[in-house]
Amino acid sequence: MTEAERHAAFMARIERGEKIEASDWMPAEYRITLVKFMQMHALSEIMGALPEKEWVPRAPTLARKLSLMAKVQDEMGHGQLILRVAEDLAAPLGKTREDLVEELFTGVAKFHNVFHMPAPTWADCGIIGWLVDGAAVVSQAALLDSSYGPYARVLQRVCAEEGFHIQHGESICLALAEGTPAQRQMLQEALNRWWEALLLFFGPAETNSASATILLKYRFRTKTNEDLRQKFFTKYVPRIWSLGLTLPDPDFRWDEAQGRWIYTAPDWSKLKEIARNQGPLSQYRLGLRRMSYEQARWVREALLGKVVA
Amino acid sequence: MSEEKPLFNVYEVFVQKDHGSPHVWVGSVDAGSPDDALLMARENFLRRETAVSIWVVRQQDVHRTDYEDRDFFARESDKQYRMLSGYNKSNAEKWRKYKKSLLDLEKDFVKD
Repeated sequence: MTEAERHAAFMARIERGEKIEASDWMPAEYRITLVKFMQMHALSEIMGALPEKEWVPRAPTLARKLSLMAKVQDEMGHGQLILRVAEDLAAPLGKTREDLVEELFTGVAKFHNVFHMPAPTWADCGIIGWLVDGAAVVSQAALLDSSYGPYARVLQRVCAEEGFHIQHGESICLALAEGTPAQRQMLQEALNRWWEALLLFFGPAETNSASATILLKYRFRTKTNEDLRQKFFTKYVPRIWSLGLTLPDPDFRWDEAQGRWIYTAPDWSKLKEIARNQGPLSQYRLGLRRMSYEQARWVREALLGKVVA
Repeated sequence: MSEEKPLFNVYEVFVQKDHGSPHVWVGSVDAGSPDDALLMARENFLRRETAVSIWVVRQQDVHRTDYEDRDFFARESDKQYRMLSGYNKSNAEKWRKYKKSLLDLEKDFVKD
């Protein structure tokens, strides 16, 4: 088969809804774009554990500490599982797991914009678990039918565990919402702080970046950023209101005629700053990650010393 | 790139939930040794679920069919004759004819 015939056969498989496996022939742009996407997802799971890890020593009760530790552990576990899948696809490109992990430090690989934000109070921990993980499940559930089989399979486990994270976050937020006026205020302030980040989470409405186009073309993803953001609003905004909380956006409303939520656009330029690792806590969190990567180097070397040839 | 450095091996992981169930593939882990692979498998896949056994198998030791080899899985003929669905509908139709006498028999023999 010529290259063009192979490509046509591959597209026909995609259009039939078939799943692609690691060992299958695939166009270079599919492989490269997927490796980049999964690498970012894996690194974001790991970086996403950091804002919450900051709260493990300060959790208000032992029960909260246990539940937060379990969540942090899950996020690191998800990072491991997704890296494993990314690694298989990256091998023919001459890239190892170490390369995928270390590209975070050189800025070649990014981590999700939402994890560049500060989490100054305990209520931030609740909002992260409930709404940031809620947003993550909305976007990941949309990938469960992804054209890349190994990723779709690993996401089943990830999404199931994220379901636990949302319950954990809801539990924190419900306790604060039913608490003292000071606790309610802390919750409202955390929501105000995270609202813009939650809008930025899904990315700009116009997804015409080269990689977004490739991901849609090959049915790695099928929903646009705006589809996902609207879905998130439909699921979570009524719940936010039902707790008596308000959104820090006076123009936010459901438009019956258009059948969609109207919201004040966030400052999209912030995404560009974050992509350059110039977000509020980008450098601080990268520093933490670098430190833990270096401190655990001896462990990796000890484990590598045992490699069975 | 890191050609000269040693690399972890990939181990495929199979978990058996209870003695009545088969080992089921759940994913894979990177590890230096089989012992480490078992630990990594437990930490990655059994943080909540219980299990009675884990198998780890080096990925390179797994022999596999090729996804593109459709011929290997070809079904040339109708396999209805091997299946429940090949029989139960016509059997049920026939049994319906005997329904009344069947009920009478049950009345006579089943006393509880």
